[in-house]
Formats: sequence, C-alpha cells, structure tokens
Amino acid sequence: MRDRLLALLRYAHICEDLLLAGMLIGMILLAAAQILLRNLLDWNFAWGDPVVRVLVLWVGMIGAMAASRQDENGKTRHISVDVLSPLLRGWHLHLSRLLTSLFAAGICGLLCWHCARFVAEEMQFGATGVAGIPVWVFQSVLPAAFAIMTLRFALNGALHGVALFQPTAASPD
Amino acid sequence: MGILVILLLILVALLGAPLFAVIAASAMYGFWQEEIDLSVIGIELYRLAEMPVLVAIPLFTFAGYVLGESRAPQRLVRLTNAWLGWMPGGLAIVALTACAFFTALTGASGVTIVALGALLYPALKQANYPLRFNLGLITTSGSLGLLFAPSLPLILYGVVVQQLNIGPPVSIDDLFLAGILPGMLMLVMLSLYSAWVARDIPGEVRPFDRSEALAATREAVWEMPLPLVILGGIYSGYFAVSEAAAVTALYVLIVHVLILREIPFRKLPSVMRESMLLVGGILAILGVSLASTNYMIDQEVPTRVFDTIKQYVDSPWTFLILLNLFLLVLGTMLDIFAALVIVIPIILPIALNYGVHPVHLGIVFLANMQIGYFTPPVGMNLFIASYRFNQPVMTLYRATLPFFFILFGAVLLITYWPALSLVWLDTTP
Repeated sequence: MRDRLLALLRYAHICEDLLLAGMLIGMILLAAAQILLRNLLDWNFAWGDPVVRVLVLWVGMIGAMAASRQDENGKTRHISVDVLSPLLRGWHLHLSRLLTSLFAAGICGLLCWHCARFVAEEMQFGATGVAGIPVWVFQSVLPAAFAIMTLRFALNGALHGVALFQPTAASPD
Repeated sequence: MGILVILLLILVALLGAPLFAVIAASAMYGFWQEEIDLSVIGIELYRLAEMPVLVAIPLFTFAGYVLGESRAPQRLVRLTNAWLGWMPGGLAIVALTACAFFTALTGASGVTIVALGALLYPALKQANYPLRFNLGLITTSGSLGLLFAPSLPLILYGVVVQQLNIGPPVSIDDLFLAGILPGMLMLVMLSLYSAWVARDIPGEVRPFDRSEALAATREAVWEMPLPLVILGGIYSGYFAVSEAAAVTALYVLIVHVLILREIPFRKLPSVMRESMLLVGGILAILGVSLASTNYMIDQEVPTRVFDTIKQYVDSPWTFLILLNLFLLVLGTMLDIFAALVIVIPIILPIALNYGVHPVHLGIVFLANMQIGYFTPPVGMNLFIASYRFNQPVMTLYRATLPFFFILFGAVLLITYWPALSLVWLDTTP
C-alpha cells in the first residue's frame, strides 16, 4: 500500500515536471514566434499574446503546486521567513512544521473553494476568451492547483504529525 | 484587523509557514470583515494572466538557470580575468564584475554563489588572498548586480508600482536606467577596497596578455550577443522587457542545448522544473498580494501610517534615514520578493507624500535589500556560502562585515543623492 502510494506520488511528480517543461517550451516558442512575425511580416497571431499571458498564470500556479512538495528536511520551496525553525530540533520542529503545514493546507483549501466559486460564476456567465475558448477554462487552474496544494500541505502536516508521535522515526538531524 | 489575528499570522510566518498563505489569510480575513464576497480572490489571482510584463519573470529565470547549468560561468570568469586581471586586486575585481553581471541575468537566487563562487573561491585562494576576504567577497558578490537590468527584483518592483497606479508613472525601462550608476557605484567601491587589500599580495599584478584576451573572447563568442540583445534591445527601446526575455530564453536554449550541447536533453526537464519552482514561489506571493494590497488601499492603511509618521518626521531626509534602517532590518528577515510585494504598497504612498520619486525609492529599496542577502541572522547567501564552502556561518558573519560597511556607505550615498538614480530620466524629483 505504502509502496503503491509512493509510486503514485513519483508518477505525479514526473507528470508535473513534464507539464511545466511543456508549458515553458510552449511559452518560449510562442513568445519568440510572435516577435519574429511582427518584425518580419508586420503581423502575428491575435491569440498569441493572450495565450502567452495565460501560460504565465498556469506555469506560476503549477510551479507553486510543485513548490509545495516537501524535501527530506520537511521544507517546501515556497518563500518563507524561516527565522525560528533553524533554532528548533526534534519534536519542537515537527510540531512547528505540523502547525504551519496545517495552516497552509487550511488557507489553500479556502482559496480552492473560493476560486472554484469564482470559476463557476464565470462558467454561468459564459464569457469567451481567445480563440473562442471559454474564459473559465483558463481560470480553472486556480482551484485545481490550490486543491493539490491543500492535499500536499495536509500530507506534509500528517507526516510531521506521525513523526511527532513516533520518536523512533527520528527527525532529520 | 484584529490585533490577535495579526499576532497569530506573524507567529505562523515566523515559524516558517509559506508567506503566500500568510498574505492570503490576511487578505481573506480583511475581505470577510468587510463582508466582501471572498470569490474576489479568484479575480485578483487571475490578474496574473493580464499583465504582459510578467512574461519576463519565467523567461529570464529560466535563461538564468540554463546559464548556471552550462559552462558559461567558466567562460565569463576567463573573459573578465583576461580583460581585467592586470589591475591591482585584479582577480578580486574579476570576481566582483563577473558576479555582478551574472546576478543581473540570474536574479540573485543564490545561483551566482553556487555557479561562480565554485570557480572564483579556489582561484582567489590560490592567488593568496586572505581566506576571510575571499569568503566575504564571494558571499557579498552573490547579490551584487541586483540593480542592473534585467534583474528580477527590478522588474517585480516595476510591476508592483504599476499595479498601485499612484504617483508619476514608472516604466521598467526607467528602473533599468536608474540602476546603472548606483550599481556601478557599489562595484567601484568594492573594487577599490579589493585593490587596497591586494596591495601586499606578492605576484598579484600581472601584465595584460593580448592573446589570452582574444582567446577568451573567442571562447565566449556565443554569450557575447546576450548583453547586446538584453541591454541594447531594452535601452534602445527596440524590445519590450518581455520580448527581450523571450529572445534571451530561446537563444540560451538553442545555444547551450542544441549548439554547444552543454546541457543534455534528459537534464532539461529538471532545469526547467527548478527554475519554475522559483517562479511559482514568486507568482504565488505576487498573486495573493494583489488582493491584500487592494484591501489595504481600501482601508487607507498607507494614509493612516503616513499620518502617524508625519507627527514625528517632517523632512524627507529624516524619512529616508528611518526608511534605510527599517529596510536593513527587514532585509535580514524577509526575502526580497516577499518584501517587495508586502512592503512597497505601504511605503510607496508614504514616500510620495515626502516627495521621494518612485524610481529613486525602488533603487534605495533594492540596494538595501541587496545588503540583506548577507546580513545575519538569516541572509540567504550566508547559508548558501556556508554550505557551499563548508565554513561555519559565524565565520561568514565576520568575513562579510567590511563588505557590509562599504555597501552600507554606498546605500547612504544612493539614498541621499537622488540624482545618481534619476540623472538619465526625463522626470525630475
């Protein structure tokens, strides 16, 4: 069960990496093509620039999702203050990480819920964006990314919770 | 906002909770108090897809990571060494110049210390520079160049100010121009100090070698067009910032992956992921701060802060002194990107009230934050250097001290001499 879960996680990480790489390459090629076309033909795709901008949002959100992965020291790659945690050891550290992870999970859960409501409203409103694609499709990355981040932070928290009650599964130091 | 909620948020932030979650929590709490539907958070976040200049952030970040993974750092060091190595303190000046150049491109994300420090540290050691000077120099250089185009913090400052939409308009091109002289000032002051330290080192001075200079130039021929495209393109107005970023990203991708083949294809996804993790971190705090900023302006927080400060401070100079002290302390604790999105929306309106030009404020802000990268207790570069060179953090604290005072002197000059930043701009302060 545990092995299968880990394999699933690894698979999810690879998918995430490939998704990020694909979108980044798409962004580079499209943005560069737009410049080339504008300079050579004085014309470019009307949908090009908006699509590049949407890709920025998607890369940012999926990057934020990937940044929520926890490394072996229980740290994520999000920007944080981290003044106190270097001073903490053992169960103090686990407790602090448990609290901050649960806090982040709770906030991401709220963000997910409210972004989902925002997208649902937009769906009802039915506005279309570039290339006739409904705007809500572009926005859907918001609740989706926050949903995954909620799960991830909850999982991070759970791991520290487990470590807190299992002194044998000692802390990284 | 309830005092208790603020204290709780500060506590979770200090414990290391992701700052985007802390900012989002404060924004949502504020909206909830005002009985504003929280789905506005979605609207604010979606604004990330509506700012053309933001394209520059993932593209420049990626280009920087590719350069860091390639052999470009080696070529850059050889090139600067061939051209500048003959000066007194030459190698130290090489280190400073190469690092400043590289940091401008890669955005002070610690890449400079890892990529260039690994080359320069042993070289300086071999040239008999004192260990402590050597460590201090490399650690300090990790954030030098922050004021030069196209550094990410400069771009992000422009984005934040444009979103606030108050005071005279600020373009990112203006910021790029404004950073040149203050950045040069820091470089020159540190170079003079290096030359002074190196005066007793035997064999430090060596003649200029023309054939080596030409060979080094030839070797770096693929990187040569980069400054031309980025700086020339942007300063001449031929490229918008986002366009220069696209051209740069595509160019380094083609050169280092396809032509020079210094980064194998199978490594590319991981380089891309690493760079996008940073971008995700930056855009997450930027996105939620768009919401919190709107709330703060709604609540007239800056006005109220200004009214309070005004009772004690009436000259812009006193205000700037206080600002410097505040930013120094802030820089020791808060990451530069987080500081930008959290603090600028409060400070900018106040600074405008004191007659400080927004471009000047940006340069002062970033110059202070640059020092914050290596001030104890949490300056990021101290830890990167400590890890990279296997030295206790305490040693690095001491090693960076002289550099701290020199750069603090530079920051004071930059602060009280606005013309240094504004001389090439049409706008007068």
